[in-house]
Amino acid sequence: MFRQLLTASAVIPRSFVRSSVIRQSSSAAANDEPLFDMENPFEKEKQQCLLCRLKITPDYKNVKLLSQFQSPYTGRIYGKHITGLCETQQKLVEAEIMKAQAAGLMATYLKEPCYLKDPKLFDTDNPIRPHRF
Amino acid sequence: MITYELLLLLRIMPKNELASVVKRSANAIFDKGGFLRKLENLGTRDMPYKTSAHGMVHRKASYFLMEFNAPPVYIDQLLDEYSRDVDIVRRRIYKKKEAEAFECTLHEDMLPPPYRKSVQKLIEEARKSDKPRYNYNTGLDYYPFQK
Repeated sequence: MFRQLLTASAVIPRSFVRSSVIRQSSSAAANDEPLFDMENPFEKEKQQCLLCRLKITPDYKNVKLLSQFQSPYTGRIYGKHITGLCETQQKLVEAEIMKAQAAGLMATYLKEPCYLKDPKLFDTDNPIRPHRF
Repeated sequence: MITYELLLLLRIMPKNELASVVKRSANAIFDKGGFLRKLENLGTRDMPYKTSAHGMVHRKASYFLMEFNAPPVYIDQLLDEYSRDVDIVRRRIYKKKEAEAFECTLHEDMLPPPYRKSVQKLIEEARKSDKPRYNYNTGLDYYPFQK
């Protein structure tokens, strides 16, 4: 049988064999090439802040929400390293709190006692980024 | 056309008087050529801080919200009118803004400082005030300035 194979291969002209092999290898290489214009498959999902995720726009009349961003001890607004909000939302929240306080809707030096038992939106003791305090 | 929001804190008084004060303050808007879009009673409650107005100390107030349109020129006059009203403890007029669409940039804010756009901007600003320095690789084989 081996002899038969040998003879069979001997029948096929050499030049033809070579060219077919080269052609095969070149076409295979073209197909195997990784596509570099694809998107990064390892890219992480983009983080979204709490208010963006829930699609909430802070409003100065919504004092219950705004008071959750206020310290119960000093009435000051927590920074974005504690609240974990994106820059835009943090600015909006701060502006709305100032408006609410000026309008007489919200306390300035404390959190109103009726909001003290509200659920915590973030951990005030473990800020997401180190800070100077 | 700008829609304004007027928040009025009225002193504690009987219901019929309260109604007349609200009517009076709404009429002030109509007199300026404006109109009301919404009138809301936010209730009577303790104020978050005591306020002294017109020689009285108030710890409770009735909250009213009015949404109205009026010529912007008259907003100052309106506020002035309300400030002279004895029954009004506090008043604020805010513009009612439509929320502008924006993208959440938290993933950028969470990057280490040198990769954050705000920090890069700061560094660029600081670089602007740097003094111009002579580059030694300009082809001259001597230092052209006094050392």
